[in-house]
Amino acid sequence: MNKDRKKTDLQQKKLKEHPFGVPEGYFESFASRLQERIREEESSHVPVRRMVIPAKFRIAMAAAVVGLALISYSIIRINATGNGANGSFPEMALLEELQVFDDDRYLYDLIDEMDEEMNEEEAFAVQAIEYLAINDAEMVLLFE
Amino acid sequence: MPEWDDREIIEGIQNPDKDDKAFGMLLEKYQERLYWHIRKIVIGHDDADDVLQNTMVKVWRSVGNFRAESGLYTWLYRIATNEALTFLRQKKKRTFAPWVDVEQKISESLESDAWFNGDEIQLKLQQAILKLPEKQRIVFNMKYFDEVKYEQMSEILGTSVGALKASYHHAVKKIKAMLGED
Repeated sequence: MNKDRKKTDLQQKKLKEHPFGVPEGYFESFASRLQERIREEESSHVPVRRMVIPAKFRIAMAAAVVGLALISYSIIRINATGNGANGSFPEMALLEELQVFDDDRYLYDLIDEMDEEMNEEEAFAVQAIEYLAINDAEMVLLFE
Repeated sequence: MPEWDDREIIEGIQNPDKDDKAFGMLLEKYQERLYWHIRKIVIGHDDADDVLQNTMVKVWRSVGNFRAESGLYTWLYRIATNEALTFLRQKKKRTFAPWVDVEQKISESLESDAWFNGDEIQLKLQQAILKLPEKQRIVFNMKYFDEVKYEQMSEILGTSVGALKASYHHAVKKIKAMLGED
């Protein structure tokens, strides 16, 4: 019996009523208070211009920088090969890369010529004479 | 008080000139219903007043985007529910330390609330409702006090009818247990 009475408790009409109250005239004054707030917000709303850079624009800028770098690199590469240092005269380029200077280059040229015209013994003799001449040796004594 | 037609209200407030008269009609028709819906979520009158104002400001600003297929009533309730829940979450962050239960605080303040007119059993019921999870609380309030149909509730809360019925069933069971029934 007691259990049956308890089971119906949540169905009591009184429980279904709102137990809350509001200040007198609250709903009557709400519309005017709200309109006042909207007016205040609208009048105080100053549009702020911000430097907002859209994501698309930022991506485009980055792509442009990368593109420019690639184009510049390509131009430099083309010019470098076009100047002939490495392209037209590969042997010169090799010498430059090996930091071979004018005197040494002369020696290389000489060796090349000797290769074409002289045998090994003759070439050695020529080289020896050249060396002694450069170092101011007494040629007469040598040949004696 | 005349019961304004929703279509008439919508046509009026969607006017580029933002017809104050039509917005007044909307307030007249819905402000009280929305207030009670909000009040049952946030409990305190001052908080409910803040949330109702926020809701109506949002309605005023976004009414141009309103699509009539969802129904004015549904749209307004959805905004009010979201605003009330957002308010509670902000209050949790702002007012109390993370370890303090905001619902528990509200429950305690209810006893001394000047705008709570209920008796002891009504107080116990409200305190039991406050112990429910957020969604169950809203479903229980809408079904138990306002007798909102599940189909309508489904549109407002974006939840299936089955899930809402289950939520209500669980809520009733918990409240009965808390009130010492069964």
